[in-house]
Amino acid sequence: MNDPDDRTLLERIAARDRVAFETFFRAHGPAVHRFVRDLVRDDGLAEELTSDVMVEVWRSAGKYGGRSRARTWVFGIAHHKAIDALRKRRATLVPLDDLLGAASDAIGPEEAALRADDRQRLDEALAALSADHRAVLELTYVEGFSQKDIAEIVNCPVATVKTRAFYAKQRLRDALATAEHRG
Amino acid sequence: MTKHDIAELLPFYANGTLDAAERVRVETELATCAECSAELRELEGLGASLKAHAATAGPLPARILDDALARISAAVPPVAVTKLRTEWWGGPARYATAAALVVGFGAAAVAAYHAHEADLTRTTNGSAASDQVASTTVFRAGQMHQIHIDKSANNPVGAAVPPGSHDAPKSETTAAKQHRLAKKAHIDLLVRDVEASLKAVQSIVRGAGGEIVSLADSSPRTADAVHDAKLDVEVPADRLESTLDRIGTAGTVQNRAIEAEDVDATIVDEEARLRNLRREEIDLRTLMDKGGKVTDILTVQENLSEVRGQIEQLEAQHKNDVHRVATSTISIQMAEDRPNLTPAKPGPTARIDGAWHSGLNALTDTVISLLTTIAWCVAYAPIPLALAGITYAAIRLLRRRTASA
Repeated sequence: MNDPDDRTLLERIAARDRVAFETFFRAHGPAVHRFVRDLVRDDGLAEELTSDVMVEVWRSAGKYGGRSRARTWVFGIAHHKAIDALRKRRATLVPLDDLLGAASDAIGPEEAALRADDRQRLDEALAALSADHRAVLELTYVEGFSQKDIAEIVNCPVATVKTRAFYAKQRLRDALATAEHRG
Repeated sequence: MTKHDIAELLPFYANGTLDAAERVRVETELATCAECSAELRELEGLGASLKAHAATAGPLPARILDDALARISAAVPPVAVTKLRTEWWGGPARYATAAALVVGFGAAAVAAYHAHEADLTRTTNGSAASDQVASTTVFRAGQMHQIHIDKSANNPVGAAVPPGSHDAPKSETTAAKQHRLAKKAHIDLLVRDVEASLKAVQSIVRGAGGEIVSLADSSPRTADAVHDAKLDVEVPADRLESTLDRIGTAGTVQNRAIEAEDVDATIVDEEARLRNLRREEIDLRTLMDKGGKVTDILTVQENLSEVRGQIEQLEAQHKNDVHRVATSTISIQMAEDRPNLTPAKPGPTARIDGAWHSGLNALTDTVISLLTTIAWCVAYAPIPLALAGITYAAIRLLRRRTASA
């Protein structure tokens, strides 16, 4: 769905059009759900947050100023809610130090992921990253956002986004190597 | 551009979102740097793995959309905010508004005080008793909507009609009917015999399928004291109006009020949260059944216990809110009506006490009058000040012209 369509939908949602809301939900709900689920690492909470994000879209559609793309705006809400939920729960299912103990540069993430052919391993490696790093990886590689869009979504300078994307990849590489050794 | 700068741009080169200038810079570097090319290949592989990982998530559960739709149905419509565009006069206008509000509130307070004094005087003269309903007020708390009582022939007494609802579209009327309201009523009665009226009221309440929640009957200790009683009752919500009418026949109604709080949004929200918590509980139980490390089991157990606690707390709240909708509470205050009661002649101590209080009241009146005068002066001060300023300026101008002539 392109941006003019999204804008029209948001205008209709602001006028309390439930059909437009459903259309918008079906267009962006899956991506928002995937994003928050990867951030909070909890399926039940991710469902709750997806619902929260969409209800917030319903409430705030009238405030959408059109300064950014509608998709960026929705992901901004999703990021804010997911980080807030993480702060409240303070839940880290796998301790970072457990997985990052013995880092190795001998193996790259592509090779590791493909060779292992094990979703569980990538899952564990992602879980070992901080929420900020997971967010930037997800937004860059899965959702295909630009540096500027990500800066707006996670509310930080563009330079920070670039640095995070760089270190997130390195951390993921280390975590995959550790998971490989353990496996 | 350093290699580090290039490395920072590579993820966005890989996802195709760099602008033209940055793309050219990265491509120039890639043409000569084997390390950078290897890094790019690695990033492309990472992107593919992450996309494949994300694709395993499966379709979005339909219950999320259902949940969101249920919640937006209960959402309160946003309040329209209109900003007043102001230019250079914005600042002074704000101060003037603030000053007017202060003076207005002051005047209103003084007026309210005088009205209260006048009421007190009327009560002392024994003119308050009336065989008509003194007032009936219905408020709807929660969304801050006031509902008016329409006593016209087309509408039965006590039926609540929101302002402007006659012009409202049918869909809005239907939506309003779906609102769940928790109602509370209050009624003040003057009765000839408190004991007999209490029995009558209890019988009315039980007849309506209600219950007495509390009863405080203070029997008079001296012949001059007035017998009064207070009782709180609960009746089925659909019988509130008829029960109030019947209670009103037990004496002379002095005051009657109904307050309604819209708890529809709260109940829908509680139900959605309960559904989510129950799902979370099932997931946690499944996780615990799978076993694993002791530390993991302990963490899951801890989360499970927390979720159970939240469910129990929310269930209790939900039950209470549903009960508040199904059952309305009426607070009944009744006092013995003794119009011929002659006050006893006060003794010397009481007379001195009375004189002291009269003196204090007079002093209070004087202070209030003084403050009122000051408030009026402050309110009207700008006018004489402006006039004085204009006069002064005119005189100075005239003098200068005379001097120059």
